[in-house]
Amino acid sequence: MTALPGTRRLLTTWATLMALTVLSIVSARLDQSSWQALPLWSAGLVIAATGFKAQRLLMVYLNLRAATPAWRGTFVGLVVLTLALIAGGYLTARLAG
Amino acid sequence: MTSRELPNPGWGPLSALPGNPLMWVLILSEMLVFSAFFALYSAERVAATALFDASQRQLDPLMGGLNTLVLLTSGLFVALAVEAVSAKRIRRTRQWLGATMVLGVLFCVIKGIEYVGKFSAGITPETNAFFGFYFGLTAFHFAHVLFGLALMALVTWRTSTENVETAAAFWHMVDLIWILLYPLLYLLR
Repeated sequence: MTALPGTRRLLTTWATLMALTVLSIVSARLDQSSWQALPLWSAGLVIAATGFKAQRLLMVYLNLRAATPAWRGTFVGLVVLTLALIAGGYLTARLAG
Repeated sequence: MTSRELPNPGWGPLSALPGNPLMWVLILSEMLVFSAFFALYSAERVAATALFDASQRQLDPLMGGLNTLVLLTSGLFVALAVEAVSAKRIRRTRQWLGATMVLGVLFCVIKGIEYVGKFSAGITPETNAFFGFYFGLTAFHFAHVLFGLALMALVTWRTSTENVETAAAFWHMVDLIWILLYPLLYLLR
């Protein structure tokens, strides 16, 4: 069995993930009563927070930090590619609309 | 990393991955499947931006956010179960697995409330392309949560380090998919 992250690291990661989720909700400006498109900085913040959350989940919860750099790169690369697809589609829709 | 240090010697390229190597194959394939759906969603959104914007307004991002917090906390609990089982603390392991299942059920209840709200408003997967994606993607994810709950129940009964590690990896994968799904459907508008 590979070395586990440890309780302290798990708790720190959980707190980070929760904080980033709240940050995403706030930056998406859900408090506004009128529905409107997000400013680009806000959309960028949501995507960046999502990417960091996915990276932490892979490295700590799934313990991918115990794997080789090639595997770490593969999974993080896939997350980055997925987020690029999401961001690309969103930006194109915004610019076209 | 030498072959003696590999977590799973004898698994070829998968030897360097922690936990059950086959679970990583599943995680990779699930990520690819969901990424393909996300790409399709993005392309459809470009083709019908006004429709997607109008439909997205009818979702409740706070409910989705609440479900994100619930799943992330369940991910912590199952990771603590792995720690407990590796220390041979079986009773504590089962307690963490039980807590994980409670939060998994809570996720399903919140999602169910959302679905009931949509159906009672006359919104179904047939309503338009956006809701086709919304119901399709979230229901596919929901099915994974249900399967994850069944796995948790199984490893609570048959508790061993390998079983708990494998079930935990599946649960984290479900968590990871939701982390990507939530901003796509609820937040980016």
